[in-house]
Amino acid sequence: MTAISLKPKGSREADNPSRNERPKRPLNIWLLVRVAIVLCGAVMMVAPFMIMVSTSLEPNTATLPNPPHFLPQTLTSANYEEAWTENNFAGFFGNSAYVSVLTTVASVVISSMTAFAFARFDFPLKNFMFSLLLAGLMIPGIVVIVPQFVLAKSLNMLDSLEGLVFFYTAGQIAFTTFLLRAFFERVPRELDEAMTVDGAGILRKFLVLYIPLARPALATAAVFSFLGAWDEYVWALTVISDATKRTLPLGIAAFQGEHSTAWGLVFAASTLAVIPVIAVYVAGQKHLIAGITTGAVK
Amino acid sequence: MTSQGVLRKQTVSTPSAARPRKPGRGGASRTPSHWWVPWAFAAPGLILFLLTTGYPLVRSLQISFYKWSVLPTQASKFIGLDNYVRALADPQFWTSVVNAGVYLLMSVPATVALGLFFAVLLQKKMPGRTLFRVLFYIPVVTSWVVVSLLFKFLFTTDNGAVNWFMTDFLSLSAHAVPWLEQRWTALIAISLLGIWKNLGWCLVVFLASLGGVGEELYEAAALDGANAWHKFVHVTLPGIRGTLLFVLVLQVIGAFNVFPSVLLMTNGGPAGSTEVPLTYMYKQAFSFLDFGYGSAMSFILAIFIFVVSFAQFKFFGEKKEALR
Amino acid sequence: MMKKLFTLSSLALLAAAGLTACDTGGGGAQPAAVSTLSTGAAVSGEITFWHAYSAGGGEIKALEKTIIPNFEKLHPGVKVKAVQIPDKDMHQKLVTAAAGTSLPDVIRADIVTVPELAKIGVLTPLSEAMPDFQSWADKMFPGPLATNKYNGKLWGLPLDTNTKVVIYNDEALKANGIASVPKTLDELKAAADKVGGKYILAEGGSGAWQMLPYIWSNGGDMTDPDVKKSSGYLNGPKSVAALQMIVDLYNKKAIPGVILGGSGGTPTGDGLPKGMYPTIVDGPWTFPNMATSYPNFQPKTSPMFSGDGGSVSVVGGEDIVMTQQSKNKELAAEFIRYMLSPDAQKSMGQVGQLSAEKDMAESMASIQPYYGAFLEQLKTAKPRPATPQWAKVDDIFTKQTQLALQGKLSAQEAMDAAVAQIDPLLAQG
Repeated sequence: MTAISLKPKGSREADNPSRNERPKRPLNIWLLVRVAIVLCGAVMMVAPFMIMVSTSLEPNTATLPNPPHFLPQTLTSANYEEAWTENNFAGFFGNSAYVSVLTTVASVVISSMTAFAFARFDFPLKNFMFSLLLAGLMIPGIVVIVPQFVLAKSLNMLDSLEGLVFFYTAGQIAFTTFLLRAFFERVPRELDEAMTVDGAGILRKFLVLYIPLARPALATAAVFSFLGAWDEYVWALTVISDATKRTLPLGIAAFQGEHSTAWGLVFAASTLAVIPVIAVYVAGQKHLIAGITTGAVK
Repeated sequence: MTSQGVLRKQTVSTPSAARPRKPGRGGASRTPSHWWVPWAFAAPGLILFLLTTGYPLVRSLQISFYKWSVLPTQASKFIGLDNYVRALADPQFWTSVVNAGVYLLMSVPATVALGLFFAVLLQKKMPGRTLFRVLFYIPVVTSWVVVSLLFKFLFTTDNGAVNWFMTDFLSLSAHAVPWLEQRWTALIAISLLGIWKNLGWCLVVFLASLGGVGEELYEAAALDGANAWHKFVHVTLPGIRGTLLFVLVLQVIGAFNVFPSVLLMTNGGPAGSTEVPLTYMYKQAFSFLDFGYGSAMSFILAIFIFVVSFAQFKFFGEKKEALR
Repeated sequence: MMKKLFTLSSLALLAAAGLTACDTGGGGAQPAAVSTLSTGAAVSGEITFWHAYSAGGGEIKALEKTIIPNFEKLHPGVKVKAVQIPDKDMHQKLVTAAAGTSLPDVIRADIVTVPELAKIGVLTPLSEAMPDFQSWADKMFPGPLATNKYNGKLWGLPLDTNTKVVIYNDEALKANGIASVPKTLDELKAAADKVGGKYILAEGGSGAWQMLPYIWSNGGDMTDPDVKKSSGYLNGPKSVAALQMIVDLYNKKAIPGVILGGSGGTPTGDGLPKGMYPTIVDGPWTFPNMATSYPNFQPKTSPMFSGDGGSVSVVGGEDIVMTQQSKNKELAAEFIRYMLSPDAQKSMGQVGQLSAEKDMAESMASIQPYYGAFLEQLKTAKPRPATPQWAKVDDIFTKQTQLALQGKLSAQEAMDAAVAQIDPLLAQG
C-alpha cells in the first residue's frame, strides 16, 4: 500500500504508463521500482519451491544443508526414480489424473445445466434452491464428513476412484453453478429472442448460444474443478484405503509418514504433483481472469 | 409464448453489493414453455448437491443431538443440547477458536492487502507480467498437502531454511527457533503459509476486477489533481468494493476452516495449543469416536462463520450506500 | 506339514470349542461362525488384511513378497488382499470403516486399540471363534496376550511384541565426556549435569509410551492394577518425581524440544546416529531403519535406566484380530494361524518384528543379535493400562505432561489435573 503513495504526486502519466506511447524518462524509474517490488514478491513466492525442487534433485542426506540449497549442488534423479517406481508414484499420478479429468468433465457439464436453469428461467423454489447452493459454499467439508462417509458406503463408493469423482463433482457444483450462472445472465436477451424467432428450442439455445458465449467461464470452472480434485486430501484420506487407489496428496502424505526425513523423496513426489497443475493453470490462465471477472465477481 | 417478453428491468434494487445489475429479470421470456423445463436442466446438479451435501448436513445436525454410536447396529442416545453445552464449556474448544481468530488476524488482512498491492502493481504493463502472474499463482494451485509439508520442512528447527535465514543471514536470533514446537511461533508459521498460499488467489481476483474500473474515472480524478493515493482511495477502492467484500468474506471463511496445514504441520500440538476448530473436531470424531460432540462443534462454528459473513456484508453494504 | 499340525490340534479342541460356542447367545454371527470354523478345512475366497507395517525396514516386502504368496500357495485359490494404512491414520480408518461397515476381515491392530475396538463391537472374540484358540494362547508370553483382554474375553492374539531399551551412540557420549552409558536414573541426572547444556537424552514425545518407563522405573504407576482409578498412582510422589526429573532435564536443555511432539525437531532415530543425541529409548524397529539410512553407525543397547522400581520398560506391539463383519471367517482364521506360524514369524523377525511366542524367543535372538537386549527387557516390561478409553486417557496425559514441560504447571499440578480427568473415564470402563 505504501508503494502506491510513493508515486509522484499529481503525475497523471505515472499511473498509466501503458497508455503512453512513449514514457518519459522519470517514468522508467518508477517502472523499475515497480518491477523490483514485484520481483521481490515473486522471489518470496518461488523460493520455497526452489528449495523443494533442489532438495528433490540432491542425494538424500541425513543432515539438512546449512545454508539451504536454492539450487542443487549435486544432481541426481535417484529420488524421482525411486518415487516413480518403487513407491508406486506412477500409479498415484494416474489415479489423480483419472479422477481430476472425470471430475472436470462431469462438474462442467452438470453445473452448466444447473446454472442455465437458474439464469434463464423463473421457477418455483428457485431462490430457495439457489440460497441452499450458496449456503453449501460456506459449510466446512468436515462438518458432513461422517454422514457422507456412510452415504458413500451405501452407494458402494468406498475405495473407488469413481466414488471420488462422484463426491468431488458434487462438491464443485455449488461453486461452478454460482460462477456460470452469472455468466449466463449476461448473455444478451436479444440474441436469445432472435433464436426464438428462428424457431430454436431451448436445448438448441443452450448448446448453440449460451455454451459458446460462456467459454471463458466454462474454462474457469474447468480449471477450478481440476485443481480442486487434484489437490483434495481429507475426503480421499477418509474413503480410500487401498494403497493402489491413493491419489497424489494421499501418496505424498503417506510417504512423509513413512520416510519422515527422506525429504528428497517426498519432494520429488511433490514436484511431480505440482507440474500438471501449473500446466493446467498456465493453459487456462487467460480465460481464468475473464471468468473470474464476470463470474464470481461483478 | 416466451418470445414477446421484451420487458427488461435495468435498474435493480438488490441490497447486495455483489450484484450491481441483472438484465432480463422478471421478463415474460423467463417463464419456461413447460414447468419441467428448468427442472430438467437443474435436476442433475440439484440432486447431486442435495444428496451429498443437503442430506448429510441434516444428518449431521441430528447426530449433534446424540451420544452417537459409531456402529449402525448400536442404538444412539438422544441427549438434546448436551453436546453444545459441553462445547461452550470446553476450554480446548475455545483455545481452538482463539487460534483460528489469531490465524485470521495474522493472515487475512496481510493476504488481502498484499494481494491488492501486487494486483495494482501488476495491472499495468511491465516486462514479464504474465510470468509474474503465474509465479504468484503457483502456491494457490499447489496441494495443501505439498505446501504444508514444504513449510514444515522450511520451519524445521535444526538447519531449517527459515532458521538459517533468521540466525545466520539476518542475525536476528542467536539460537535456532523451535518454530513448530511452541504455540505462537507455530501459529506464525501456519499464518505465513496461509498468506503465501492465498495471496496469489486474491491477486488474480483483484486483477480481474481492477480491469473493470472505468478509465474515465481515473482521468476525471487526475483532472481534479488527485495524486496516486487519492485515486486509489477514491476511485480504485470504491470501484472494487464488491470484489473486496467477496475476497474478504471468502478469506475469513477460509481462515475459520484452516485445517490441512495445521493437521500436517503441528497436528494441534504441543499440548493442544495450536489446535484449531477443525483439527479439534476431527480429533473428537475420529480419534475419540465422539461424533455427536464433533458435529455439535461444527455447527457452532458454522453459525459463527455465518454471523461473521453476514456482518461483513452488512458493514460493506451500508458503507456503499453512505458513499453514494 | 504345518497344515496337518493345525488339523490335529484343532480336532482335539473342537469339542471344547463347541461348548464355548453355545453360551454366546447375543453375539450375532458367532454361533454360525464357530460351528464352521474348523481348521485346515478347505478354505476358499478372498479376505482383506489391514496393517500398518512400514516400508522403510522391509516389513511390507516380507509380507507381500514372502508371507502372503506362501500362504496362497498353501491354500490354492485363496486370495489375501493386504492393505497398508499409515500408522497415524490407522485409528481413524478403523473408526470410519466401522461406521460404514466396511472393515476388512483381519486387522493388525496396535495393542492399545484392541479394547476399544472390542468395546465398540467390531471384533469377533477369537477365544470363541477359533476352536484351537487355547493352543495358540498357550504359546504366547502372558504380557502380550493380556493386551487382548476386554470384558473377560480374549479378542485377538499377539502378532508381534516389542519394548524399548536405551540405545546409545558411544562416540557421542565420549565426546561429551561421559565414559559409559548411564545405567540408572541417578546416573542419567549426573550425566546431564556433567555435559551442562548439551543433550544427553532425546524422547520423541511426551505420551504414556515415552513417559511410563521413567515412571515405572522410578517406582510409580499410572493406575491401580484393575485400571479403575489413577488418583494416588499417577499423581503419587514416585510418578510425579519421575516426571519432575524429565522436566528438569528439559529445562536444563539436556533433553531436546522434540519431546513436545517432534514437529520440526530432528527425530530421535536420526539424531542418535548423527551424534546430536547421545542416548534415546526406542524399540527394535529402529535398527533396520538406521541400518538403511546410516549404514556406518553402530548403535549400542543398555537396559532402561533403573530406579526404585527397577528397570521397567513398556510393552508395545500388535495383535491380530478378526472383525465381526468378516464374510469369510474361516479363511480369516486360517490366515491368522499362518501369520502366527514359525515361517511367518521368522520372516517378520528378519525385519525387526519380535515374536510374542515363547518357542520363538531363541530363534529370534539368533536372527538378530540386538533382539537379546529387548527379550531381556521384556521380562520386566509392563503393558500400558488396558482400557477402551485409552485414546482419551493418553491424550489427557500427553497434554498435561506437555504443560509441565512448558512450565505452565508444576509436575504435581499437571498430574493432579490429569487424574481429575482420567478417573471419570476409567470409571466408565
